Amino acid sequence: MSKITVPIGPQHPLLKEPLAFSLTLEGEHVIESAMRLGYVHRGLERLSQERTYVQNVHLFERVCGICSHIHSTTFCQGVEALSGLEVPPRGLYLRALLCELERIHSHLLWLGVQARNIGFDTIFMYAWRDREIILDIMEDLSGGRVSHAVNIIGGVRIDLTPEHRDVILGQLDTLETQIEALLGVVENESSFQGRTRNIGTLSLEQIRRYCVVGPVARASGLDMDLRRDMPYPPYDQLKFRVPVRYEGDAWARTLVRMLEMVESVHLCRQILTTLPDGPTSARAKRRVPPGEVVSRAEAPRGEVIYYIRSDGSDKPARVKVRTPTLTNLITLPDQLQNISMADVSVVISGVDLCIACADR
Amino acid sequence: MTTSPPLAALTHRVVQWARRKSPWILHFNSGGCNGCDIELLDLLTPRYDVERLGILKEASPRHADILLCSGPVTRQSRDRLLRIYEQMPAPKWVVSMGSCSCSGGVFQGGHNILGGIDQVLPVDMYIFGCPCRPEAIIDGLARLLEKIK
Amino acid sequence: MSRLLTQIYLFEEIFAALQDAFPDEEFSVEDKPMDDTFLTLAPDRVRPVVELLMEQFDIYHLSTITGDDVGDGVRLLYHFWSGYGITLSILLPYDDLRIPTLTDLIPGAAFYEREVQEMLGVTFEGLETPGPMFLPDDWEEGDGPVRFPLRRNADEKG
Repeated sequence: MSKITVPIGPQHPLLKEPLAFSLTLEGEHVIESAMRLGYVHRGLERLSQERTYVQNVHLFERVCGICSHIHSTTFCQGVEALSGLEVPPRGLYLRALLCELERIHSHLLWLGVQARNIGFDTIFMYAWRDREIILDIMEDLSGGRVSHAVNIIGGVRIDLTPEHRDVILGQLDTLETQIEALLGVVENESSFQGRTRNIGTLSLEQIRRYCVVGPVARASGLDMDLRRDMPYPPYDQLKFRVPVRYEGDAWARTLVRMLEMVESVHLCRQILTTLPDGPTSARAKRRVPPGEVVSRAEAPRGEVIYYIRSDGSDKPARVKVRTPTLTNLITLPDQLQNISMADVSVVISGVDLCIACADR
Repeated sequence: MTTSPPLAALTHRVVQWARRKSPWILHFNSGGCNGCDIELLDLLTPRYDVERLGILKEASPRHADILLCSGPVTRQSRDRLLRIYEQMPAPKWVVSMGSCSCSGGVFQGGHNILGGIDQVLPVDMYIFGCPCRPEAIIDGLARLLEKIK
Repeated sequence: MSRLLTQIYLFEEIFAALQDAFPDEEFSVEDKPMDDTFLTLAPDRVRPVVELLMEQFDIYHLSTITGDDVGDGVRLLYHFWSGYGITLSILLPYDDLRIPTLTDLIPGAAFYEREVQEMLGVTFEGLETPGPMFLPDDWEEGDGPVRFPLRRNADEKG
């Protein structure tokens, strides 16, 4: 059979962000694939050296629009550790509340995009409609739907009254019913399963060799979650389960993300009902003492790591960011091997791409 | 084919009416953080539902009237942005969505950033915000359609 | 079920094993905030130490590789994680920016090494580089930007 090269270029209905693939097909099956990143490379690491720590909190929030809060959380966590600042427990709990809300919003977004790529537009509409509940909660808390600017070095700048907390608990109840309905579809609907079962399977051995993180790793049997394994406060005081599956295919990844959403709703309830009293932030100094720190957190897509080195001034000497999407992208050539052209969309979106995160 | 002037004028008015009543958009992210893109996709979902206003998000540049750009222009994505603009059939309009595509936003001065979209393409409408809200996008598109009249 | 952490070894055990295996090497150890420990090594010790960590202690999760231009050379940091952070720190002098690749031991290191190679000009011997990763295709010919964006003399053309 003859070979044909199909470019899935920077502008493509399948991709929300620019990323170039070049797939070589023999008949209907992919035999080779090549990937070109760099369309969204903004040089954030170099830009961060010219901005103060306070400005960098806002800069790093814009690494990615979907997981913006976790980036500023990891950055602030690292700078607070360097400065020896103790964030008050109420601030930590409010930070974690937004982290979990963001996890739910990111997974619902992904579910909609994945369903759209399968051809199941109904799930896209339902998932994004339910996502509006989360965006409303985040907007009432922080003033922004997508970009919250809640973190400051030393804590958070928002607070919660008991009445507002009851409103949020009511909204979470509605959300939970909707998520359970979507979970029912994913588990039982045969057309959904037919398009995602046994597609893009990764074995545990491949996961370990490529150091894959996040739901992609948990869907292949690797039980790793920094919220439980590190743990970083306040998750050391919260109870939750980490869902793990063993099939390793696109369906297992969908299921892991859905179950994580259910756990996140429980976590949000726990955080709201056990919220400690007190201040929400500690006062931070402009200059950070010299030193270096490696800060990690569990983003919706996996482990995000920041290395921060400070030289005693009010600007960082070096900030290095590695986002989970970059780690998971390395598995794409393996996953795309020998699959049919119709399944390419399922595989590419199953990794939960956030190219803005990967390119920085 | 030559038509008599009144018929040509009538055809022109009908085409202009159709263009205003159903503008099809194409979205290209030339280097942004994705925040504006998800607010744009929100427009298609049940809460905002712009399809009732006639707006459809198209996949190919050849089907689109309006190019909605988000994100600053990076050196790598500049050529593709120009090519998409050239592939769109005239008349076409460019809308710059979000602070980054208007001016570079927080990324100004980056070693890979050329600036906002207006460094590369002629922009007809600027929509500010970081990210711009869905309501702002609808407002921007409505004002652009007024301008087209 | 395979947990990432089948067992969390105490750092003292790891350090003792390293001293046993390399008796003539002086590993300088520094504790860092957020439960991380930095081990300073010579460039030719990286591969044997990583092999030891992988075989004896099952430490294989490489989070990332940081490259940092510190003024008297380029410092490479290999961040591992195994319940707590272990970072290997190597200083490469400017006139000899070469180090062997880890991709045959840990295939997941490929993207990280390519990024350090591109941004700082460090050569990873044995690394496959099919082309630029983050920087645009016309980077070297462009006027204005410098060769390696994260190097200190990045204000001059290099």
